Amino acid sequence: MSAGDLGAGALRAALFLALWGTGAAVYAAWRRDARALSSARVSAAVAFALVVVAALSMMFALATHDFSILYVAENNARETPLLYSLAGLWAALEGSILLWTAILAGATAFVAIRGTAVLPRLGTTALAVLFAMLSFFLLLVTTPAADPFVRLALAPDNGNGPNPLLQNHPLMALHPPLLYLGYVLAAVPFAYAIASLILGEGGDRWLVATRHFALVSWALLGVGIVAGAWWSYAVLGWGGYWAWDPVENAAIMPWLTATAYLHSVMVEEKRRLLRTWNISLVVATFALTILGTFLTRSGVVNSVHSFTQSAIGPLLLGYLTAILVLSVGLLLWRSPQLRDAGPVGAPLSREAIFLFQNVVFMAATLTVLLGTLYPLVAEAISGAQLSIGGPYFDRVEIPLALALLFLMGIGPQLPWHGASRATLERQFTAPAVAAAVGAVAALLTGTTAVAAVLTYALAAFVVATVVQEFARGARARRALHGETGMTAFANLFRRNGRRYGGYVVHLGIVLVALAVATSQARTVDAERTLAPGETLAVAGYEVRLEGVRSVVEPQRDSVVADLVISGNGASDRLHPALVAYPNSPAAVGAPGIGAGLRDDLYTILAAYDQRSLSWATIRIRVIPLVSWLWLGGLVIGLGAVIAALPAPRRRPARMPVIEAPAPAD
Amino acid sequence: MSSRIAILAAFLAVAVAIAIAARPHDPTAGERVDRITAELRCPVCQGLSVKDSGSETARQMRDLVAQRVAEGRSDSEILAEFRTSYGDWILLSPPLSSWSLLIWLVPVAALAAGLWIARSRIRGGAVLAPPPSPSELASLRERVAAEEAAEG
Amino acid sequence: MARIARIAVVVAMLGLVLTLALAFRRDPHDIRTGTVGKPAPAFSLARLDGSGQLSLAQYAGKTVVVNFFASWCLPCEQENPALVRVYERYRGSDVVLIGIDYQESADGGLAYVRRMGISWPTVADDDGRVALGYGVFGPPETFFIGPDGVIAGRHIGPIDEPTLVRAIEAIRTAATQ
Repeated sequence: MSAGDLGAGALRAALFLALWGTGAAVYAAWRRDARALSSARVSAAVAFALVVVAALSMMFALATHDFSILYVAENNARETPLLYSLAGLWAALEGSILLWTAILAGATAFVAIRGTAVLPRLGTTALAVLFAMLSFFLLLVTTPAADPFVRLALAPDNGNGPNPLLQNHPLMALHPPLLYLGYVLAAVPFAYAIASLILGEGGDRWLVATRHFALVSWALLGVGIVAGAWWSYAVLGWGGYWAWDPVENAAIMPWLTATAYLHSVMVEEKRRLLRTWNISLVVATFALTILGTFLTRSGVVNSVHSFTQSAIGPLLLGYLTAILVLSVGLLLWRSPQLRDAGPVGAPLSREAIFLFQNVVFMAATLTVLLGTLYPLVAEAISGAQLSIGGPYFDRVEIPLALALLFLMGIGPQLPWHGASRATLERQFTAPAVAAAVGAVAALLTGTTAVAAVLTYALAAFVVATVVQEFARGARARRALHGETGMTAFANLFRRNGRRYGGYVVHLGIVLVALAVATSQARTVDAERTLAPGETLAVAGYEVRLEGVRSVVEPQRDSVVADLVISGNGASDRLHPALVAYPNSPAAVGAPGIGAGLRDDLYTILAAYDQRSLSWATIRIRVIPLVSWLWLGGLVIGLGAVIAALPAPRRRPARMPVIEAPAPAD
Repeated sequence: MSSRIAILAAFLAVAVAIAIAARPHDPTAGERVDRITAELRCPVCQGLSVKDSGSETARQMRDLVAQRVAEGRSDSEILAEFRTSYGDWILLSPPLSSWSLLIWLVPVAALAAGLWIARSRIRGGAVLAPPPSPSELASLRERVAAEEAAEG
Repeated sequence: MARIARIAVVVAMLGLVLTLALAFRRDPHDIRTGTVGKPAPAFSLARLDGSGQLSLAQYAGKTVVVNFFASWCLPCEQENPALVRVYERYRGSDVVLIGIDYQESADGGLAYVRRMGISWPTVADDDGRVALGYGVFGPPETFFIGPDGVIAGRHIGPIDEPTLVRAIEAIRTAATQ
């Protein structure tokens, strides 16, 4: 039996089990039937195993270049290196949907085994929702819409090879799976929220049960977005990391709503407020992940990422419609039972800041959605063709992002319910002074863009609030538990990881904001045609062309320019190239990047002498602080890990403690 | 009292820094070319601007913009020239015409509506909470202790 | 208030789904631009064979077919036989065919012109200015200019003989009325 038969068979068996599991879980939830539940649980586990078998057999087929499978023939070649062969699983539509299905099957199995044990009725209903979604995706991969195992009657000698852009950088192995994990895990909070609405449980149990899933999904989405930005920076060859491309917009929208949710959920936990709103955010996050898949996979918008037009578009639209109708219908039906416990506190209370922050996040999400879809609307209605790109999004989103930075500094400093004047003065003196220092520092380093100066001021403001929180927390632990400085610090993370991990995330966001503001405001470009030995000076750096040479590899032919960088204390050799793959008419640029904590030197081989390699046109961008963006992604991930780690069992507190605000000294 | 002065002084410093950054200055020709080409969509790319793209077409468009700037044309004249050839499609930020006015209005309207709804949910009255009385403080301490014990 | 919010949510949802459904009718590769219906931008370019300049103004009052091509462009090779047949068909009439070599220096284009047996006038637009004026996205592209000097039609991508003849005849009928 070949890998193709095994995979195709496993998917069909999994579809059968998923359909069976849907029925069993519905029956188990409805009649509280233990036998049906255990049947559903077994189905979930076996279905997961089967989909994993299918995904592995596809990877095996890719790694062994089994061109009797159409997908392998289209996305792989004998010369494709192993890493890119394996990454071929998510290099095109059918494989990505298979990976998606595998992750969803994993989440379903997890809920079946753990979720139904913790909260039987709610968990079982959520399991039914997940099973129904899994059935849909298994239907996609077992019908022509997205069947990855379609066979070729006559296997070709060699395949087409992957899209050149997708075999140019190892990050390709990392960023799509991270994003998919983030996307798919958002299904779990959604399933619980729907289950809670179906059962009419007014309580917050669904929210506690899915707290970790929401956090992990959000973190993977965020890290995946940064990894994707890094990939496009390293591969697309224009020196940018974000172009407001539809697929980038598709990824950022659920991340924005998920971020809003992670904050507003605290209001519900502490104050029993914003219940309808939180469910709406969970639904919106999940619906936006499906919308994103639809936008990028149906071919209705132009994007670097929309590889194919396929029959999957209408099916995904139907799925999205079903999800929207079901969840909005349930929400409208149940919202009278979801009354809040009272009004939100004073305008200067933590919950009010969360509320404002949610409003700004919503405006930001709506703007991205509108900007992405508006060209479609305009053309459908008036036939006019127009573009909505970077300049529009920058104009609207940058002020909103600055407002969010500001609120990020304010929120954690305010107590619940409301603040007194003394509290305000105590909390904001140091941060305000830091903001002034940040603004002046921006001017002194030559940053002149208003948005960048404001970003520096707000970044310093936020950092000061975080430092102040840590200092205060550590001091309190020292006083109360007699711990030394370092232990106190470490225990803040261990005992209250959610809060202090959150602050680490805030620091990561600050790094990202500084990277974006600086690289946007202060990138310097230069371009010149050089003969070997000639130099080009830009922003204090000197770039000398050593020579141009051609390189032949089994899977591709390249022309490489050898550059020597000096100046500003740097000394580096960079090798921008133009790479031609046999399956693509146009050569792909592979930039030579000299990364540094201060500046990145981004060099591009724009053109070269095709006859004698005696000259090359080199384009150079000096991009300051851009590497802080990747660092920021790392810090965000780290903060999320801290926040997700379970707190150790707590000894009873020795004395009553007030956490924040600390009593005035 | 002294902290109030420090906060006010800091606000003032930030405001002055922003005023310095925002002071009008005559852009150089290079800055103008960057500003104009950032608004133009590269016709052969996937949604990139002419400023960012390394394609041959984008390079020729940058040359043309640089030439027009040197000839003394205004930003809007140069953009209009490209609009004549390529239509509104060439502008990455749609012009304020009847239809595309909507995409500028909606974010502002959404923000305003959101803030209005948020305001209606927030308890009216004083911005500042009165300092807690000793008895409130005691009951708060009790509650926090109880929550702390429960959290673990 | 709550009722307004409910209605707004339902309307927004319907709008979203409807928009996405309508989007299926759209072809992302079909891009229409501003030059059709406007006076054709004038140009004066060096002939590929080195026999001096050619300007659009020379052909005032005639029907002019302007074809943008390049030697590295495979679809251009595909469409070339159709252009040759149409050129032969209208030879000696008031219909003129001009080839504009897109973003290329004269030597690259000249070899292509000889190889493909192109005998209509061809000129080099090596700095791409004329192509930018016409709103060209990339070769091949074909513009149809009426005797009044106004661009009557445009075709993006490789063109075939019936499309060429139809566009030319439409201009001629319009001109005689």
